[in-house]
Amino acid sequence: MTTTAPETKTVFAAEHDVPIPYMQRTRDYYRALGFSPYRWAHFVDVPFTPLRTPLTRARVALITTAAPFQPEVGDQGPGAPYNAAAKFYKVYSVPAESMPDLRISHVGYDRLHTSAEDIGTYLPLARLKEAVAAGRIGALGPRLHGAPTNRSQRVTIEIDNPELLRRCREDGVDAAVLVPS
Amino acid sequence: MPRFLFSDFPLGNSAGRPFDVASQAETLELGLQLLERAPAARTTMQSPLRWSADASWKLDYLDLAKLTPEKISERRREFDVVKAVAKTKREAS
Repeated sequence: MTTTAPETKTVFAAEHDVPIPYMQRTRDYYRALGFSPYRWAHFVDVPFTPLRTPLTRARVALITTAAPFQPEVGDQGPGAPYNAAAKFYKVYSVPAESMPDLRISHVGYDRLHTSAEDIGTYLPLARLKEAVAAGRIGALGPRLHGAPTNRSQRVTIEIDNPELLRRCREDGVDAAVLVPS
Repeated sequence: MPRFLFSDFPLGNSAGRPFDVASQAETLELGLQLLERAPAARTTMQSPLRWSADASWKLDYLDLAKLTPEKISERRREFDVVKAVAKTKREAS
């Protein structure tokens, strides 16, 4: 699939071997299904705070979009079809000490090429704990926090995000790593 | 977005490759380096990790060319069902 640049021995990557243009593909797909184009939220001004505490002494929060397993709402296992009943609509928090049972059947991951069989692909909690044990990070926050994948941008911006920030402050963390699934 | 690590893996693998601790650890480490060193808002880093030598999996994501008009109508009906389920759940929350 690779090609050679004209008159050279330089090998180019295949033309499609670039980051998937997710926004364009999604826009085209839902337009073909008959929906009006989705308007993504983006901003002229983006806040930025440099990390002021060395990471080796910092306390870090993990924020995930994965959902707590709910036995009563159907298949949420590896490769499960999209399961809207497994969605959640309120910020939740669970202790970071043990490994929570969190799944991603409620979001549109790539079900053709992956299966969400290993929680480590969407929840880096074990890897974060190893980083703490190795002294790379000072500590983890006492809880990890769940961010709802609500289709209402108003609810995300006005309700869920301030609640996540409030909980991070309550936990006294210096930084948050948000891992969407 | 203040800082963003882009992992060019099929969606669902933002924290690394399945059952590959080294891949997951490297992904986290890149994210941590970004947290420490990003000079300004919107700093984006692309992970050098590759999902597979052959990149043809990237062509499959929401590929309309592979769908017949009948299949598109079926997807629309499925999506309407999913939205109704989600709405019921949201209103009950």
